[in-house]
Amino acid sequence: MLGYIDKIQEISERLLKDGSVDMIIGFRKGTVPLMNEPCFIKDPADVKTLVWDSNCGINLANYLTGRKEKVGIIAKGCDTRNIVTHIIEKNIDRDQLTVIGVPCKGMVDRHKVASLVDGEITDVVESEDAILVKSGNSQKELKKSDVLQQNCSVCVHRNPVICDEMAADAVDEQTGIDRFAEVSKVESMDTDEKWQYFEDLLAPCIRCYACRNACPLCYCPTCFVDENRPQWVGKTLDPTDTRTFHFLRAYHCAGRCTDCGACVRACPMNIDVRAFTKKLEKDVFELYGWEAGLSLDERPPLDTFKPDDPEEFVK
Amino acid sequence: MKVLQINKKDWAEGLEKAKTAYRLFGPVTDKKTNFSEFKELIDGTAPDMEASDTRLSPKAIAFPPSEVILEYTTDEAKDDANLMNIPEKDYSPRAVVGIRPYDAAAFLILKKNFDTPEYRDPYWCDAYEACTFIGLAVTKPDALDFSTSTKSGPFDESGLDVLLVDDGDNYLAKVISDKGAAFLDAAGVNGAADDSAFSRVEELKKAAEEDIKSTVSFDNIGKQSILDLYESDMWEDIAFACINCGTCTYVCPTCWCFDIQDETSGQAGQRLKCWDSCMYPLFTVHTTGHNPRDTKVHRVRQRFMHKLKYFLDKYEDGIMCVGCGRCIRHCPVNIDIRKVCDKMNNN
Amino acid sequence: MEHMGIEPGRIHFSWISSAESTKFVKVVTDITESVKALGPNKHFVKQDAKVA
Repeated sequence: MLGYIDKIQEISERLLKDGSVDMIIGFRKGTVPLMNEPCFIKDPADVKTLVWDSNCGINLANYLTGRKEKVGIIAKGCDTRNIVTHIIEKNIDRDQLTVIGVPCKGMVDRHKVASLVDGEITDVVESEDAILVKSGNSQKELKKSDVLQQNCSVCVHRNPVICDEMAADAVDEQTGIDRFAEVSKVESMDTDEKWQYFEDLLAPCIRCYACRNACPLCYCPTCFVDENRPQWVGKTLDPTDTRTFHFLRAYHCAGRCTDCGACVRACPMNIDVRAFTKKLEKDVFELYGWEAGLSLDERPPLDTFKPDDPEEFVK
Repeated sequence: MKVLQINKKDWAEGLEKAKTAYRLFGPVTDKKTNFSEFKELIDGTAPDMEASDTRLSPKAIAFPPSEVILEYTTDEAKDDANLMNIPEKDYSPRAVVGIRPYDAAAFLILKKNFDTPEYRDPYWCDAYEACTFIGLAVTKPDALDFSTSTKSGPFDESGLDVLLVDDGDNYLAKVISDKGAAFLDAAGVNGAADDSAFSRVEELKKAAEEDIKSTVSFDNIGKQSILDLYESDMWEDIAFACINCGTCTYVCPTCWCFDIQDETSGQAGQRLKCWDSCMYPLFTVHTTGHNPRDTKVHRVRQRFMHKLKYFLDKYEDGIMCVGCGRCIRHCPVNIDIRKVCDKMNNN
Repeated sequence: MEHMGIEPGRIHFSWISSAESTKFVKVVTDITESVKALGPNKHFVKQDAKVA
C-alpha cells in the first residue's frame, strides 16, 4: 500500500503528458491528521502532490458526475464498482475514463482511532500494517485491521473490477466474512426494538445532507428532499421527516450501493447511515443475486423484469 | 473588575441553586461516542467542563436548527381562525455555562445580522437577550484553534458575562458584567479571590495564547478589490473537493443563513425557520428558475468571499470567523479555511 | 419498512386486475381485519413538525 503512490504518480504523469486524459482526479495531503483532500491535476509537473495512503476513504467516483473532459481517476475496489454503475446509468462514457485501479486492504476510520487515543491527535505515521498515532506527549501503535472503516472490514471486492492501468498487484479477497452481520442483528429484534433502534440512530441527524452529497449515486439534479412543488418531505428536524429522508434515500440506492462508506465518513454527527443501505444491499443480493457495479453488461435488477423474479410479498 | 475564587465543588452546588432562576445550558458529553454538544441541563446533569470542543456550536441556543415562528388555524370554530400567531416561547432567563470565548464572540457577529437598526429578528434577539454567558477560558487550545488571529482568543472576554478560568481545584471567575454578577449571586458563589488571582489569570492567558500555533492573516484581503478576488483562478482548485454538504455552515458559530418553510396539516399550519446553507444548490434559486450560483465553484467562492471579504469590507470589524476550527475538523473532504484565507491574502 | 419497525401485517401488496372483483373483495377484507387487529398506527405519523 505504501509504495503504491510512486506507480500512481508515474502513471498519472504519463497519461497527462501523452494527452490520454485532460485531468487526473486523486488526493493531495490533508491539513489535518488522518485526512486527505480530493484534488485534480492538469499539469504533469503537479503529479508529485498526489498522495495515497490509508486515509483515502472518500469515494472519488462522486466527482465524475457531469464531466465532459477525459478524466483519469484513481479508484479502489468499491470506487470502480461505482464507476461501473455510473457508466451503466449513462452518467459518463466509458471512453472518457482512464481508470487507475488501486487494490485496497481497507481505509482507516479516524473516529475509531480518536476513540482509542487520549487527547488530540497531532500526527500519524503509517507503516504497512500499523499506524503510529501521536497525541500530546505520548504515542500509540494501532493495528490497521483494528481501526478500519466498518464497511472495509466486511469488504469482498478489494480489487478494481474495471481498470485501464493497475497501480499494484491484486490483493487477496477476504473470505468467510458475514457481510450482513450488522443487518441480521437488527432483523432479529422485535418490532418495537427495531423502531427504537432507528429512532436512536437518527436522533443526532441535523439534515445537513453530507451523506447524500458524499454518495456517488446521489446525483439527481434536484433531490426529492429539495422538491417543493409538491413537497414530499419536510425540511425540519422533525423525526418523521428525518426518518423518511434516510430510508427513501436508501431505497434510491437499492441495488446500486457498493458500501463504500463515504456516507458514514462524511456525516459530521457520526451516524451509521449504512444501517439503511446495507439492509437493502442484503435484500437485493438475496432476492436477485445481484451485487452492484460488477459488470458493464448486465442491467441492474430494478431496471429489468424476469418472470421468475421473487414476489412472495405480493398476495 | 472583580475576580472570585470558586471551589469546583461549590460550583457544582451553585449551579443547582441557579436552576431556580435560570434554565441552564452547557456541554454534555455522550459516554458512548465521546462527542459533546450543548444541551439543556435537566435532571441534575452537570455541564462537562473538561470536554474538548462541542461538535455543533452553541448558536442553536438562540438560533435552533428548526423553530416554529408562526402558526395558524383555518378552523372557523376557533376564535383566532385565519390569524397568524406567534407560538408561546420560553424566553425566561437562560445561562449558557462553559461556552468558549470564541463562541461568545461569534454571538456578537450573529448580532450584527439579527439585530440591526432596520430589522430585528425577535426570535433570535429575545433568546439572545435572555442569555447570560458564563464562559470557560480555553487553557489547552487544540491544534485547529486559531482564535488569536481573529478578534477572539482563548481568554477573550467579548460577549461574555463571566469568564471562568480553570485553576486546578478552583475556578477563578472574572465578573465582566452585571448580568454575570447576578448569575453568580443566584448561584450563591461569592468568595473573593486574593490579589494574586489577576496575575494568575494573566499567566494562564499568556500560556494559552502561546500554545496556539495556527494563525491566519487577512491584512491584504481588505486592500484588494472584490473583483480581483472574485475573478481569481484559484477558486476552481479550492472548490474541487467540496461536496456542497453544508456541514461547514452548520457547525460554524458565525453562519446565520436560514430558510422559511410553511407546513400545513389539515386546517392547521405552521411557518418554520430552519437552518439553511449557501452550500446547497437551491439556496439562491429564484422563482423564475434562474440560479445565479448554480455551480459548486460559485457557491464555494461565495462562502469564503462572504466570510473573509464581504463581511470584512461591510462591517470593518475583522473577518466573519472566530477561529474555532470546527469547519476544518468536520469537513469530510478537508477543505481548510486557513489555506483559503492564505491564498486570498496572497492573491 | 418492517426492518425499521412497522409491525408485520400493516403493509400489504397485491396484484388485482379490474376483472378480479371477488379477489378484490377478499383482499380488502383481509387487509382491513389484519390492520385493525394491530390497532391505530403510531409510526410515521406527523401532525405538526416536532421542533423547537
